[in-house]
Amino acid sequence: MYARSCLVLVLVLANGAPVAAGDSKARLSAREMLEKVDDLYRGNSSYGKMTMKVVTAHWTREMKIEGWSKGKQKSLMRILSPSKEKGTATLKSGNNIWNYLPKVKRVIKVPSSMMGGSWMGSHFTNDDLVKESRMSDDYDFKTTFEGKRNGEEVVDITCMPKPEAAVVWGKLVVTVRTSDMQPLSVLYYDEDMELARTMTFSEVKKMGGRRIPTVMKMVPADKPAEYTMFRYDQIEFDLKLKDSIFSLRNLQR
Amino acid sequence: MNTLRIGWRSIWRNKRRTVITVAAVALNTAILIVSYGLMDGMIVDTVNSVTNMLTGDAQLHAPGYRADRSFYKSIPKVDAILRAARQAGIDASPRAYGYGLVSVGHKSAGARFWGVDPDLERKTFGLAGQLSAGAFISGKRQDPASAENPRREIVLGRKLAKSLHAGVGSEIVAVVQAGDGSLGNELFTVKGVLKSVGEEVDRAAAIIDERDFEDLFVSEGRIHEIAFNAHGRLTPEQVVAALEPATAGMELLSWKQILPALADMVNMFDAVIWIFGMIFFLAAGLGVMNTMLMATYERMREFGMLKAMGATPWRIVRDVSAEALMLALFSTAIGLTIGIGADVYFHAWGIDLSGLGGDVVFSGIAFNPIWRATITTTGVIAPVVVMWFVCVLAALWPASKAARLDPVKAINHV
Repeated sequence: MYARSCLVLVLVLANGAPVAAGDSKARLSAREMLEKVDDLYRGNSSYGKMTMKVVTAHWTREMKIEGWSKGKQKSLMRILSPSKEKGTATLKSGNNIWNYLPKVKRVIKVPSSMMGGSWMGSHFTNDDLVKESRMSDDYDFKTTFEGKRNGEEVVDITCMPKPEAAVVWGKLVVTVRTSDMQPLSVLYYDEDMELARTMTFSEVKKMGGRRIPTVMKMVPADKPAEYTMFRYDQIEFDLKLKDSIFSLRNLQR
Repeated sequence: MNTLRIGWRSIWRNKRRTVITVAAVALNTAILIVSYGLMDGMIVDTVNSVTNMLTGDAQLHAPGYRADRSFYKSIPKVDAILRAARQAGIDASPRAYGYGLVSVGHKSAGARFWGVDPDLERKTFGLAGQLSAGAFISGKRQDPASAENPRREIVLGRKLAKSLHAGVGSEIVAVVQAGDGSLGNELFTVKGVLKSVGEEVDRAAAIIDERDFEDLFVSEGRIHEIAFNAHGRLTPEQVVAALEPATAGMELLSWKQILPALADMVNMFDAVIWIFGMIFFLAAGLGVMNTMLMATYERMREFGMLKAMGATPWRIVRDVSAEALMLALFSTAIGLTIGIGADVYFHAWGIDLSGLGGDVVFSGIAFNPIWRATITTTGVIAPVVVMWFVCVLAALWPASKAARLDPVKAINHV
């Protein structure tokens, strides 16, 4: 699901051809808007460097991460700093996740019972890394608001999961700014229709040949003072990447 | 003195009758002593399984810790609390808890890490002795010469070890979210695997030295639980009362509050044993009473004769009770010897219930499959005293009847 694609953002997972990021003044349909959001950070392959900042009630920390992705199935992330975690890497292949721990020089496969656990201390789970969905395919959607909010022309698109879709959310509300068709926020509701988390997008910049929001911030609804923020420092799309990058051998490099 | 001598002589005037009566009283006394010992033993064992294994008489947590098990809800001033416990003669084991991942080869599983002081844990609780393989963590550095050299020993719950295919000597990778948000990871060597001691421990316990825990979790000495064990010197309520001043603001609970289902079971057990005890005492008392009644009725003629020769009614009552009392003393002495002997046997060797089907687990606590008797003052004295009363009362009734009888009618009594 898209939530998962937050991670997708993080993971820079590639999926299908990117949509041309033209600021067409022509009115886009709800489907086109969702597809644009779905494909914002996707490419056949990608490479990026980002900063992850996690703020919790007990600690705050920042990590620098570099990541590669190829197709929908494969991605590799490696922590560059801080020094305690430097070299720690996560390989995703299909539905499996392995972590490499340089301190003990061991590879660990994340067991299915731990997939709901936090990824590297963030507010994202390992499941978020693995699960894939597209709002435009897996959800029924309709425009539920059109007009000015906080001085900007916005459109709200409410997405309800299709009965057969394997998603955990009860509802998503995507807010898109009409002036440049950039996403502003996605609200995630659980199956009881309670707000579970809020993802906001900001600092739209040209990077990797596209105009994309370079900062994403996720706030869990039950802990409004906490958040995980990603900032892209660099991103490139559609590079030539060898499959061997996404191997257990390379994970341990 | 004279009364007693006459009584003693009377007892042995009809040897067969006396032997039957003595056998009945002695056997019933012995049965009562043993059944009380076994029933009490069952309760004591149940409570011991709780208090001596790992839960303790009482436990201390930070307020709210038991609800969400938050790593950050820790107990302040642990040293002062431990000192207060020591002064009150209560053993205490501080424990730190954290969640993470353990992995062996391609297998991995979620685990609840326990950071314990091996010496205190061993001194306070029996968990350190409940190993199906290997030994408990030693707390010793692998290289005593180096202050930096870590311990890195780990003891796993039975089901956890099984799911990891880990045994003594296996290398375990531990991966956890540390208290400062960083990723803690470390290699451990399996030192031992626990026996089945309860569902939660079996499935998830990964016990390490508290100093290793501090490194792994960057826990800064956080302690989440202190478990107290007075080893029977104080009741759980007394333990709570003794520690209350030193633990103000914390959540100090007796095991009965921590495991209410188990406390209810023990209470119910207590009630059941009372009911059974009453039935046993009643049955044994009636049996003895019957024997005594028959023995006294048999002598109606004799009492009539005595009365005819001028014995006062009081004299007859006195003689019969003296006889009954001596018979009771003699019989219960034999019963006591047999009963205590059997009690000692069942205390030392017990009855092995493991053949009845695997582990006995209730409310997440595994029980000792050997059913042992206890030997208590009450359990020995109560049956004896009850027997004395039963014997004398059983003799007094027909005796007083005989004492009031017309001598001629008594002599003709069949």
